[in-house]
Amino acid sequence: MSDTSILLMIFGVSVVSLLPRMLPVAILSRWEFPQLLQKWLSFVAPAVLGGLAALSILAPKGFIHFSPSNLYLWACIPTFIVAIKTRSLFYTLLVGIITMALLYNFAGI
Amino acid sequence: MIKNEELLTGIKDAFPIVLGYLPLGFAFGVLANQVGMTVFQAGLMSLMCFTGAGQYIAIGVMQAGGAIFTIIMANLLVNLRYLLFATSMVPHLKNVPPSLATLLSYGLTDETYAVAMTRYQNHEATASYMAGLNITSHIGWISSSLAGAILGTFISNTDKIGLNFALPAMYICLLVFVVGKRSDALVAGISATLCLLFGFIFPSTMANMSNIIIATMIAATLGVVIDERY
Repeated sequence: MSDTSILLMIFGVSVVSLLPRMLPVAILSRWEFPQLLQKWLSFVAPAVLGGLAALSILAPKGFIHFSPSNLYLWACIPTFIVAIKTRSLFYTLLVGIITMALLYNFAGI
Repeated sequence: MIKNEELLTGIKDAFPIVLGYLPLGFAFGVLANQVGMTVFQAGLMSLMCFTGAGQYIAIGVMQAGGAIFTIIMANLLVNLRYLLFATSMVPHLKNVPPSLATLLSYGLTDETYAVAMTRYQNHEATASYMAGLNITSHIGWISSSLAGAILGTFISNTDKIGLNFALPAMYICLLVFVVGKRSDALVAGISATLCLLFGFIFPSTMANMSNIIIATMIAATLGVVIDERY
Protein backbone atom coordinates (compact mmCIF):
# COMPACT_ATOMS: atom_id res chain seq x y z
CA MET A 1 0.00 0.00 0.00
CA SER A 2 1.29 3.47 -0.83
CA ASP A 3 1.77 6.11 1.85
CA THR A 4 -1.30 8.01 0.66
CA SER A 5 -3.43 4.85 0.79
CA ILE A 6 -2.20 4.07 4.30
CA LEU A 7 -3.08 7.55 5.52
CA LEU A 8 -6.47 7.33 3.84
CA MET A 9 -7.04 3.94 5.46
CA ILE A 10 -6.08 5.29 8.90
CA PHE A 11 -8.44 8.22 8.48
CA GLY A 12 -11.32 5.97 7.39
CA VAL A 13 -10.80 3.54 10.24
CA SER A 14 -10.61 6.48 12.64
CA VAL A 15 -14.04 7.73 11.54
CA VAL A 16 -15.81 4.35 11.81
CA SER A 17 -14.19 3.46 15.12
CA LEU A 18 -14.75 6.78 16.86
CA LEU A 19 -18.29 7.58 15.69
CA PRO A 20 -19.99 4.64 17.49
CA ARG A 21 -18.31 5.70 20.75
CA MET A 22 -18.96 9.42 20.57
CA LEU A 23 -22.32 9.73 18.79
CA PRO A 24 -24.53 8.16 21.51
CA VAL A 25 -22.95 10.38 24.15
CA ALA A 26 -23.35 13.46 21.97
CA ILE A 27 -26.97 12.77 21.01
CA LEU A 28 -28.42 11.12 24.11
CA SER A 29 -26.84 13.19 26.87
CA ARG A 30 -29.89 15.37 27.44
CA TRP A 31 -32.39 12.58 27.09
CA GLU A 32 -34.11 11.04 30.11
CA PHE A 33 -34.11 7.27 29.59
CA PRO A 34 -37.38 5.42 30.33
CA GLN A 35 -37.22 3.13 33.39
CA LEU A 36 -37.41 -0.12 31.46
CA LEU A 37 -34.62 0.92 29.10
CA GLN A 38 -32.46 1.95 32.06
CA LYS A 39 -32.94 -1.46 33.57
CA TRP A 40 -32.05 -3.11 30.27
CA LEU A 41 -28.93 -0.95 29.95
CA SER A 42 -27.92 -1.84 33.51
CA PHE A 43 -27.49 -5.44 32.35
CA VAL A 44 -25.25 -4.50 29.44
CA ALA A 45 -22.06 -4.30 31.53
CA PRO A 46 -22.43 -7.75 33.18
CA ALA A 47 -23.37 -9.24 29.81
CA VAL A 48 -20.45 -7.64 27.96
CA LEU A 49 -17.96 -8.67 30.64
CA GLY A 50 -19.36 -12.20 30.76
CA GLY A 51 -18.85 -12.44 27.00
CA LEU A 52 -15.40 -10.85 26.99
CA ALA A 53 -14.18 -13.00 29.89
CA ALA A 54 -15.48 -16.20 28.29
CA LEU A 55 -13.94 -15.39 24.91
CA SER A 56 -10.60 -14.28 26.32
CA ILE A 57 -10.28 -17.57 28.22
CA LEU A 58 -11.90 -20.08 25.88
CA ALA A 59 -10.89 -18.45 22.59
CA PRO A 60 -7.61 -16.69 23.37
CA LYS A 61 -6.36 -16.92 19.79
CA GLY A 62 -9.61 -16.01 18.09
CA PHE A 63 -11.05 -19.49 17.77
CA ILE A 64 -12.71 -21.62 20.42
CA HIS A 65 -10.22 -23.85 22.19
CA PHE A 66 -12.05 -25.93 24.76
CA SER A 67 -9.55 -28.50 25.99
CA PRO A 68 -7.27 -29.22 28.97
CA SER A 69 -4.31 -28.03 26.88
CA ASN A 70 -5.73 -24.50 26.94
CA LEU A 71 -3.54 -22.84 29.58
CA TYR A 72 -5.95 -19.91 29.90
CA LEU A 73 -8.55 -22.29 31.28
CA TRP A 74 -6.21 -23.36 34.09
CA ALA A 75 -4.93 -19.87 34.81
CA CYS A 76 -8.45 -18.53 35.22
CA ILE A 77 -9.15 -20.76 38.25
CA PRO A 78 -6.79 -19.09 40.78
CA THR A 79 -7.53 -15.75 39.14
CA PHE A 80 -11.25 -16.10 39.78
CA ILE A 81 -10.66 -17.16 43.38
CA VAL A 82 -8.36 -14.21 44.10
CA ALA A 83 -10.80 -11.79 42.41
CA ILE A 84 -13.68 -12.99 44.60
CA LYS A 85 -11.63 -13.14 47.83
CA THR A 86 -9.63 -9.91 47.55
CA ARG A 87 -11.83 -7.80 45.23
CA SER A 88 -8.57 -6.16 44.19
CA LEU A 89 -7.67 -5.67 40.55
CA PHE A 90 -3.99 -5.44 41.41
CA TYR A 91 -3.76 -8.80 43.21
CA THR A 92 -5.98 -10.46 40.63
CA LEU A 93 -3.71 -9.33 37.80
CA LEU A 94 -0.59 -10.28 39.74
CA VAL A 95 -1.80 -13.82 40.47
CA GLY A 96 -3.18 -14.24 36.93
CA ILE A 97 0.02 -13.16 35.23
CA ILE A 98 2.33 -15.17 37.51
CA THR A 99 0.16 -18.28 37.15
CA MET A 100 0.21 -17.90 33.37
CA ALA A 101 3.98 -17.40 33.29
CA LEU A 102 4.52 -20.52 35.43
CA LEU A 103 2.14 -22.59 33.31
CA TYR A 104 3.69 -21.39 30.07
CA ASN A 105 7.25 -22.13 31.14
CA PHE A 106 6.77 -25.27 33.23
CA ALA A 107 3.49 -26.99 32.42
CA GLY A 108 4.91 -28.41 29.22
CA ILE A 109 1.56 -28.82 27.50
CA MET B 1 -12.60 22.49 36.33
CA ILE B 2 -10.08 19.79 37.08
CA LYS B 3 -10.53 17.80 40.24
CA ASN B 4 -7.08 16.53 41.09
CA GLU B 5 -8.17 13.64 43.24
CA GLU B 6 -10.54 12.32 40.57
CA LEU B 7 -7.89 12.75 37.89
CA LEU B 8 -5.34 10.81 39.95
CA THR B 9 -7.82 8.01 40.67
CA GLY B 10 -8.49 7.78 36.94
CA ILE B 11 -4.79 7.59 36.16
CA LYS B 12 -4.28 4.96 38.86
CA ASP B 13 -7.23 2.90 37.62
CA ALA B 14 -5.68 2.94 34.14
CA PHE B 15 -2.49 1.15 35.23
CA PRO B 16 -3.85 -2.40 34.96
CA ILE B 17 -5.25 -1.48 31.54
CA VAL B 18 -1.90 -0.15 30.39
CA LEU B 19 -0.26 -3.35 31.63
CA GLY B 20 -2.67 -5.33 29.47
CA TYR B 21 -2.13 -3.06 26.48
CA LEU B 22 1.65 -3.40 26.55
CA PRO B 23 1.87 -6.78 24.78
CA LEU B 24 -1.11 -6.01 22.51
CA GLY B 25 0.11 -2.59 21.40
CA PHE B 26 3.63 -3.91 21.07
CA ALA B 27 2.47 -6.76 18.86
CA PHE B 28 0.51 -4.31 16.72
CA GLY B 29 3.64 -2.18 16.27
CA VAL B 30 5.71 -5.20 15.26
CA LEU B 31 3.10 -6.40 12.75
CA ALA B 32 2.53 -2.90 11.35
CA ASN B 33 6.24 -2.66 10.77
CA GLN B 34 6.21 -5.99 8.96
CA VAL B 35 3.47 -4.97 6.51
CA GLY B 36 5.43 -1.86 5.63
CA MET B 37 3.98 0.84 7.83
CA THR B 38 6.43 3.40 9.15
CA VAL B 39 6.86 4.05 12.88
CA PHE B 40 4.98 7.32 12.38
CA GLN B 41 2.06 5.62 10.61
CA ALA B 42 1.80 2.92 13.28
CA GLY B 43 1.76 5.55 16.02
CA LEU B 44 -0.72 7.70 14.09
CA MET B 45 -3.07 4.76 13.68
CA SER B 46 -2.98 4.02 17.42
CA LEU B 47 -3.58 7.70 18.13
CA MET B 48 -6.47 8.13 15.69
CA CYS B 49 -8.17 4.73 15.91
CA PHE B 50 -7.55 3.18 19.36
CA THR B 51 -9.18 -0.10 18.35
CA GLY B 52 -7.06 -3.16 19.07
CA ALA B 53 -9.16 -5.67 17.14
CA GLY B 54 -9.75 -3.19 14.32
CA GLN B 55 -6.06 -2.41 13.92
CA TYR B 56 -5.16 -6.10 13.81
CA ILE B 57 -7.78 -6.59 11.12
CA ALA B 58 -6.28 -3.72 9.11
CA ILE B 59 -2.87 -5.41 9.27
CA GLY B 60 -4.38 -8.74 8.27
CA VAL B 61 -6.18 -7.30 5.26
CA MET B 62 -3.10 -5.34 4.19
CA GLN B 63 -1.02 -8.49 4.41
CA ALA B 64 -3.51 -10.30 2.19
CA GLY B 65 -3.41 -7.43 -0.28
CA GLY B 66 -6.98 -6.40 0.43
CA ALA B 67 -8.65 -3.06 -0.24
CA ILE B 68 -9.03 -0.03 2.01
CA PHE B 69 -12.80 -0.39 1.68
CA THR B 70 -12.63 -3.91 3.16
CA ILE B 71 -10.62 -2.65 6.12
CA ILE B 72 -13.07 0.17 6.80
CA MET B 73 -16.18 -2.03 6.53
CA ALA B 74 -14.68 -4.66 8.83
CA ASN B 75 -13.82 -1.93 11.30
CA LEU B 76 -17.33 -0.56 11.18
CA LEU B 77 -18.62 -4.00 12.20
CA VAL B 78 -16.00 -4.50 14.90
CA ASN B 79 -16.73 -1.12 16.45
CA LEU B 80 -20.53 -1.32 16.36
CA ARG B 81 -20.55 -2.73 19.88
CA TYR B 82 -19.46 0.67 21.16
CA LEU B 83 -22.88 2.07 20.20
CA LEU B 84 -24.23 -0.20 22.91
CA PHE B 85 -21.42 0.48 25.39
CA ALA B 86 -21.62 4.25 24.99
CA THR B 87 -25.41 4.28 25.26
CA SER B 88 -25.32 2.27 28.48
CA MET B 89 -22.81 4.72 29.92
CA VAL B 90 -24.86 7.83 29.12
CA PRO B 91 -27.19 7.63 32.18
CA HIS B 92 -24.09 7.80 34.42
CA LEU B 93 -22.73 10.94 32.78
CA LYS B 94 -25.40 13.40 33.96
CA ASN B 95 -22.90 15.64 35.74
CA VAL B 96 -20.35 15.76 32.94
CA PRO B 97 -20.89 18.55 30.38
CA PRO B 98 -22.16 16.81 27.20
CA SER B 99 -19.52 18.25 24.89
CA LEU B 100 -16.73 17.17 27.24
CA ALA B 101 -18.30 13.73 27.75
CA THR B 102 -18.46 13.30 23.98
CA LEU B 103 -14.86 14.33 23.52
CA LEU B 104 -13.64 12.04 26.30
CA SER B 105 -15.60 9.12 24.82
CA TYR B 106 -12.86 9.04 22.18
CA GLY B 107 -11.07 6.87 24.73
CA LEU B 108 -13.92 4.39 25.24
CA THR B 109 -12.65 0.83 24.80
CA ASP B 110 -13.67 -2.58 26.17
CA GLU B 111 -11.23 -2.04 29.02
CA THR B 112 -11.93 1.59 29.93
CA TYR B 113 -15.66 0.82 29.69
CA ALA B 114 -15.37 -2.07 32.10
CA VAL B 115 -13.27 -0.14 34.62
CA ALA B 116 -15.42 3.01 34.43
CA MET B 117 -18.75 1.16 34.75
CA THR B 118 -17.39 -0.64 37.80
CA ARG B 119 -16.49 2.69 39.39
CA TYR B 120 -19.80 4.34 38.51
CA GLN B 121 -21.65 1.70 40.52
CA ASN B 122 -20.81 3.63 43.68
CA HIS B 123 -19.08 6.82 42.55
CA GLU B 124 -20.32 9.72 40.51
CA ALA B 125 -18.78 10.06 37.05
CA THR B 126 -16.62 13.14 36.59
CA ALA B 127 -14.84 14.57 33.57
CA SER B 128 -11.55 14.47 35.51
CA TYR B 129 -11.88 10.76 36.23
CA MET B 130 -12.81 10.01 32.61
CA ALA B 131 -9.85 12.06 31.41
CA GLY B 132 -7.41 10.35 33.79
CA LEU B 133 -8.62 6.87 32.88
CA ASN B 134 -9.10 7.24 29.13
CA ILE B 135 -6.12 9.42 28.28
CA THR B 136 -3.68 7.37 30.35
CA SER B 137 -4.93 4.18 28.70
CA HIS B 138 -4.65 5.78 25.27
CA ILE B 139 -1.09 6.96 25.96
CA GLY B 140 -0.27 3.39 27.03
CA TRP B 141 -1.70 2.09 23.75
CA ILE B 142 0.17 4.62 21.59
CA SER B 143 3.51 4.22 23.33
CA SER B 144 3.42 0.42 23.29
CA SER B 145 2.56 0.53 19.56
CA LEU B 146 5.49 2.86 18.94
CA ALA B 147 7.79 0.65 21.03
CA GLY B 148 6.71 -2.37 18.98
CA ALA B 149 7.25 -0.58 15.69
CA ILE B 150 10.72 0.56 16.78
CA LEU B 151 12.01 -2.47 18.69
CA GLY B 152 9.97 -5.10 16.88
CA THR B 153 12.89 -7.04 15.58
CA PHE B 154 14.62 -7.47 18.95
CA ILE B 155 11.97 -8.79 21.33
CA SER B 156 9.74 -11.64 20.33
CA ASN B 157 7.84 -13.41 23.06
CA THR B 158 5.86 -11.63 25.79
CA ASP B 159 3.90 -14.86 26.49
CA LYS B 160 6.90 -16.10 28.48
CA ILE B 161 6.28 -13.56 31.22
CA GLY B 162 2.54 -14.18 31.37
CA LEU B 163 1.52 -10.77 30.02
CA ASN B 164 -0.87 -12.43 27.59
CA PHE B 165 -3.07 -13.14 30.60
CA ALA B 166 -3.28 -9.52 31.74
CA LEU B 167 -6.50 -8.74 29.86
CA PRO B 168 -8.30 -12.02 30.63
CA ALA B 169 -7.41 -11.52 34.33
CA MET B 170 -8.77 -8.01 34.16
CA TYR B 171 -12.03 -9.12 32.55
CA ILE B 172 -12.43 -11.81 35.22
CA CYS B 173 -11.90 -9.32 38.03
CA LEU B 174 -14.19 -6.66 36.56
CA LEU B 175 -16.84 -9.31 35.95
CA VAL B 176 -16.69 -10.13 39.67
CA PHE B 177 -17.01 -6.39 40.42
CA VAL B 178 -20.04 -5.65 38.22
CA VAL B 179 -22.04 -8.65 39.38
CA GLY B 180 -24.03 -7.19 42.25
CA LYS B 181 -27.16 -9.30 42.35
CA ARG B 182 -28.21 -12.75 41.33
CA SER B 183 -29.79 -11.55 38.08
CA ASP B 184 -26.46 -9.89 37.06
CA ALA B 185 -24.67 -13.22 37.50
CA LEU B 186 -27.35 -15.01 35.48
CA VAL B 187 -27.11 -12.43 32.70
CA ALA B 188 -23.30 -12.71 32.61
CA GLY B 189 -23.53 -16.50 32.45
CA ILE B 190 -26.16 -16.48 29.72
CA SER B 191 -24.19 -13.94 27.70
CA ALA B 192 -20.95 -15.92 28.06
CA THR B 193 -22.67 -19.12 26.92
CA LEU B 194 -24.40 -17.45 23.97
CA CYS B 195 -21.19 -15.70 22.96
CA LEU B 196 -19.30 -19.00 22.78
CA LEU B 197 -22.22 -20.75 21.12
CA PHE B 198 -22.52 -18.15 18.34
CA GLY B 199 -18.76 -18.10 17.94
CA PHE B 200 -18.76 -21.88 17.61
CA ILE B 201 -21.65 -22.13 15.14
CA PHE B 202 -20.70 -19.02 13.13
CA PRO B 203 -16.90 -18.63 13.41
CA SER B 204 -17.00 -15.44 11.33
CA THR B 205 -18.78 -13.65 14.20
CA MET B 206 -15.63 -14.18 16.30
CA ALA B 207 -13.53 -12.02 14.02
CA ASN B 208 -15.89 -9.04 13.92
CA MET B 209 -17.10 -9.58 17.50
CA SER B 210 -20.74 -9.41 16.47
CA ASN B 211 -21.30 -12.45 18.72
CA ILE B 212 -20.76 -10.16 21.71
CA ILE B 213 -23.38 -7.71 20.47
CA ILE B 214 -26.00 -10.39 19.83
CA ALA B 215 -25.29 -12.25 23.08
CA THR B 216 -25.40 -9.03 25.11
CA MET B 217 -28.73 -7.92 23.62
CA ILE B 218 -30.38 -11.29 24.26
CA ALA B 219 -28.90 -11.66 27.76
CA ALA B 220 -29.86 -8.12 28.83
CA THR B 221 -33.41 -8.68 27.60
CA LEU B 222 -33.62 -11.93 29.55
CA GLY B 223 -32.19 -10.03 32.52
CA VAL B 224 -35.11 -7.58 32.46
CA VAL B 225 -37.56 -10.49 32.28
CA ILE B 226 -35.84 -12.39 35.11
CA ASP B 227 -35.63 -9.28 37.26
CA GLU B 228 -39.38 -8.63 36.89
CA ARG B 229 -40.25 -12.15 37.98
CA TYR B 230 -37.99 -12.60 40.99
